[in-house]
Amino acid sequence: MRRELVLAVLAALGAFVAALAGVALLLQILLASAPGDAADLISDDPVLRAALVEAWRLDEPVLSRWLAWTVDAMGGDLGESLTYRPGQAVTELVLPALARSLVLVGGALVLSLTGGLGLAWWTAGRRSATRRLVQALSVTPVFLLAWLLMAGLNEAAFGLMEGGQIARPAWFALPDEDSWLKTLLAISVLAVGSSALGEIHAALEDELLRIQRASFVEALRVRGVALGPHLLRALLAPLATIAGGRASFFVGGLVVVETVLHVGGLGSLLWQACRLRDYPLALGIGVVAGALVCGARLASDVARITVDPRLSRAP
Amino acid sequence: MARKTFAAAALVGVALVALPAAGQGLRYAEDLAPAIVNPLFTTTMSEARVNELLFSGLYTDDQDLATSPALVAYASLADDQLSMELSLKPDLRWHDGQPVTADDVVFTIEAMRDDDTLSTEAGRVSWIDEATAVDSGTVRLTFTTPQATPEDKLYFKILPRHAFDSTTVSRSDAFRTNPVGSGPYRLARFNDDNSISFTPHSTFDGGVGISELVMREVSDKNYQAKLLLYESLEALVRVLPRDLAVLQNNRKVELYPYQTNSWWYVGFNLERAPFDDVRVRSALSMLIDVDALLAPVGTGEVLSGPFVKSSPFYNHDVPYDGYDPGEASRLLQEAGFDNSSGAWMRDGEALTFTLNAHQTLESSQEVVINLQSQLQNHGVEVSVDFLDEAAWKSRVWRERDFDAILSQWSFDRNEDVREQLHSDGLRNFGGYESERVDELLDTARDASDPFAKKAALRELHAVVAQDQPMIFLWTLDSYAALSTRVSDVVIHPFYFFTFVNQWRMN
Repeated sequence: MRRELVLAVLAALGAFVAALAGVALLLQILLASAPGDAADLISDDPVLRAALVEAWRLDEPVLSRWLAWTVDAMGGDLGESLTYRPGQAVTELVLPALARSLVLVGGALVLSLTGGLGLAWWTAGRRSATRRLVQALSVTPVFLLAWLLMAGLNEAAFGLMEGGQIARPAWFALPDEDSWLKTLLAISVLAVGSSALGEIHAALEDELLRIQRASFVEALRVRGVALGPHLLRALLAPLATIAGGRASFFVGGLVVVETVLHVGGLGSLLWQACRLRDYPLALGIGVVAGALVCGARLASDVARITVDPRLSRAP
Repeated sequence: MARKTFAAAALVGVALVALPAAGQGLRYAEDLAPAIVNPLFTTTMSEARVNELLFSGLYTDDQDLATSPALVAYASLADDQLSMELSLKPDLRWHDGQPVTADDVVFTIEAMRDDDTLSTEAGRVSWIDEATAVDSGTVRLTFTTPQATPEDKLYFKILPRHAFDSTTVSRSDAFRTNPVGSGPYRLARFNDDNSISFTPHSTFDGGVGISELVMREVSDKNYQAKLLLYESLEALVRVLPRDLAVLQNNRKVELYPYQTNSWWYVGFNLERAPFDDVRVRSALSMLIDVDALLAPVGTGEVLSGPFVKSSPFYNHDVPYDGYDPGEASRLLQEAGFDNSSGAWMRDGEALTFTLNAHQTLESSQEVVINLQSQLQNHGVEVSVDFLDEAAWKSRVWRERDFDAILSQWSFDRNEDVREQLHSDGLRNFGGYESERVDELLDTARDASDPFAKKAALRELHAVVAQDQPMIFLWTLDSYAALSTRVSDVVIHPFYFFTFVNQWRMN
């Protein structure tokens, strides 16, 4: 079993490196095909522009830029920001942003999985209005959910402050002040919005019903054993699969949630980097985000195989 | 009542920590934090405003927007107007305590001119032939051509020589994060949330009234006014027209109107048919009801030429050819168009064009939609394409790949329209060419007599109004909004913070 696990991890690592190289190339192509470049944002003087284009190697073919970048990146050098924070090392910008985004993605995974599991447990096999309510709430796009919650909290707090009922809260006003509430709001929006919670709930409910119909559960039931721990253990593999898939979804949602709620994470930084045609920064973020997604899938695979070794032998 | 109690209970849960009332600092909003704090590389207004806080020039504006000495104590211009000697005020200090000297002035000019610096500000000193330090407090400048009022061009910010290794300065130089200036404020720190804190320069001439300034990045313009109402900000540089009424009625906010040298226009690509025909351009201008376009986006003054009405260069004798569909029809028919089918056609081709607008131009969506609708009602089909900054600069400025654009020009008080209208102008991307206009711009540039300059630019107004390379629209009334806790506020229409040292917090 150990050998199979090692082989599976090695295969996944190979796919991981290939995926990152692919992400970098894709981003290079996308950025190169966008109208305008970093030099356009600096000056309309043709002489100055030409000097910047040469200095920043903007006139080189995409493939050659990609190769040069990949070689540097393999040595740990992701380059320097061109326009967002000129001259600052991309790693200095990306790492603090990654820490903030990890909190959001990790929090959203925990919240959506525990919330989905709890709801699935509650609604499985029943006719329940909760299911429809969750679906209706969850279908709201994350940007709208974030904006509505932010505006609602601000207006309510302001009304109470004006009425003298509460003192000015430390988090007030969103999204201007950094606070635990803003982080919680971002996590909740990611975990619930754009159908995230609804889909996780539905998937876990299906799994739960499937497991409940399994023969081993029937045997346990006949023997009068408590089913809960056994059902939960059987759900671990599907949970790991869902978590691995959802991680990429949440990483994608960061762009919108972090921009609306003014969180300085990977998503909002990527938005600015693209807007300012800051290629090294956008590439750095893209690759780190790609690594995050691949890492989550890898962790999910490892978790599934650990929980159920039969999966490593599956064709 | 029950709902209020419920809301209070819900909020008590999240309002665990209460803050005292806002402190003595002033927080103002920018859409985008400055990328770089170095006057050699300024590209955005948010950077220009930060420069105004941190740095001083040799000259500045007084409250009447007349040239006034800043670092300079006195100056003497040679009789031939080809050189000038400037004596610096004594006891001037940089933020790090070092004295401000003539060497700093010479260094700044040389750094701006250094080809390897790639300064975006190089053009500001292109008229200076040489700068030399006569002694530690005196600078001598020589000019390439006679200059009647050179002090009007000595606004650029002075940098400390001791903070740099050479006149070749890189955009990534460490100065960008650790700037040293001689302005009213010094940069205290860059914060994690992209805000920047400033504290007073202790030896600034005349002192500073507000103990801390904070630039906050609020990328959503629509939310900036809300944050001012919530007392999370104390200043908005520019209020969106739709927020004016709400702020006007709030007792904690005061609005400060100011006149900017900015005007909106619809520019044509004169190298493309049918905009190469002045009759078509004139006709299109007469199909647009400018007053109706302006009404939804604010108040302002409709213009007939490339200056604002309060400018000495505005020619009030030039009539404004307003909305006149009848005359427009006549001109279009004269240009070979026919609208018997309801749409204007020539040689089987409809009169259609794409109007490009900048995504971040405030209220541009309302203007574009109204303009599209107005022209469509008169048989001209207009499609619209909004561009972000990089796409705008590349498509419109560099490649000139457009039919028509909706945009705005903003000027400092020199109102130099040379780059926009001279046939060699870098920003004349419509391709306008007029020998007479080139002559008048040269005359205005070289004039030592201010009356000669005024006469030339007024004539230019008349010529351009007739040629109509663009449809001049309006200058908008601008308002800043500040908390009533801030007093003694005087706003500079372009740099905003020029008089910030006089502001007080109550």
